[in-house]
Amino acid sequence: MSTEVVETLDLDQHLQTQSPREVVEYALQQFDNIAISFSGAEDIVLVDMAMEIAPGHAQVFCLDTGRLHPETYRYIDRVRDHYGVEIDVLSPDAAAVQKLVKAKGLFSFYRDNHQECCGIRKIAPLRKKLLEVDAWITGQRKDQSPGTRAGIPVIQDDKVFARPGDSLTKFNPLANWSSQQVWDYIRSNDIPYNELHERGYISIGCEPCTRPVGPNQHEREGRWWWEESTKKECGLHAVNIKS
Amino acid sequence: MMKITLVKKILRDGSPCKKCGDVLQKLEESGHMSRIDEVLVADERDPQSPGIEIAARHGVNRAPFFVVEADGKEPVIYTVYFKFVKEVLEKDTSEEEQLKEIMNDNPDLDYI
Repeated sequence: MSTEVVETLDLDQHLQTQSPREVVEYALQQFDNIAISFSGAEDIVLVDMAMEIAPGHAQVFCLDTGRLHPETYRYIDRVRDHYGVEIDVLSPDAAAVQKLVKAKGLFSFYRDNHQECCGIRKIAPLRKKLLEVDAWITGQRKDQSPGTRAGIPVIQDDKVFARPGDSLTKFNPLANWSSQQVWDYIRSNDIPYNELHERGYISIGCEPCTRPVGPNQHEREGRWWWEESTKKECGLHAVNIKS
Repeated sequence: MMKITLVKKILRDGSPCKKCGDVLQKLEESGHMSRIDEVLVADERDPQSPGIEIAARHGVNRAPFFVVEADGKEPVIYTVYFKFVKEVLEKDTSEEEQLKEIMNDNPDLDYI
């Protein structure tokens, strides 16, 4: 096993035991060129922690798909004002969006599933942004989707978005926190939050693809609810990466 | 001298991984299969299978993936087929194809 991989795995074992704040602090200590991905929802806690630890150290960016709720746009500006932080609002490539809309209309995701639209509106700008940084921080949590996020590490070597021949480190400080813990933090620290949360929205994404959920419904049910649960199984379940 | 290893997966129920089949088909159709020096099987029923062992060695938790080894350099792992094609086989692939593959293979990106 390469030294780099061993180091990342050992570090993950260590960071799994640390609090999100300690993980954010570690990330900011290790990297100067680091960015926080802020979705306009409860991952605000990462911005709050980073601003408290080292104001202005981390860049903050937001993926503006062009289809967010007006409430989310207003919230992004509230966050900007509240923390006095510059938020890099990233737009998708206009020509790519135009091509998709021309070919398939404005709501192709209801027919073809969301991957194509998300790829153009979200992943392409994300990939472009990540070419500029050495590390990034996300609000991904294991409890957001037991099917697809159960194995999220706290630190990982991001092979998908790394520059060719270079490395990119991804931190998921909230991986082990529950939604309840995130909201306890938001309330106890009096952090501004997206007003949609008061209307039954748990997970917030694009307006056409997000809906409020009822009591005892998982937050996943508020996103892409029309799609079959046909996620591809690409994980390697027999791998014990701790060995 | 470069060595390219493809690791494909056999699921717990003994069936082949669909994505691995798709990738193998693409390699065959594009004539790139000849560039692959070795194909290893990661059998989910057998933790000692060569593919599982090489995945563990490189900290990879998904398949298919490619290991590219060049003299005097650290091995480079590619879990995205189109990225591998673009960067290693130097064949242009469309951005749409790359983005779709990234989304399909990384459902955890849904909430970014």
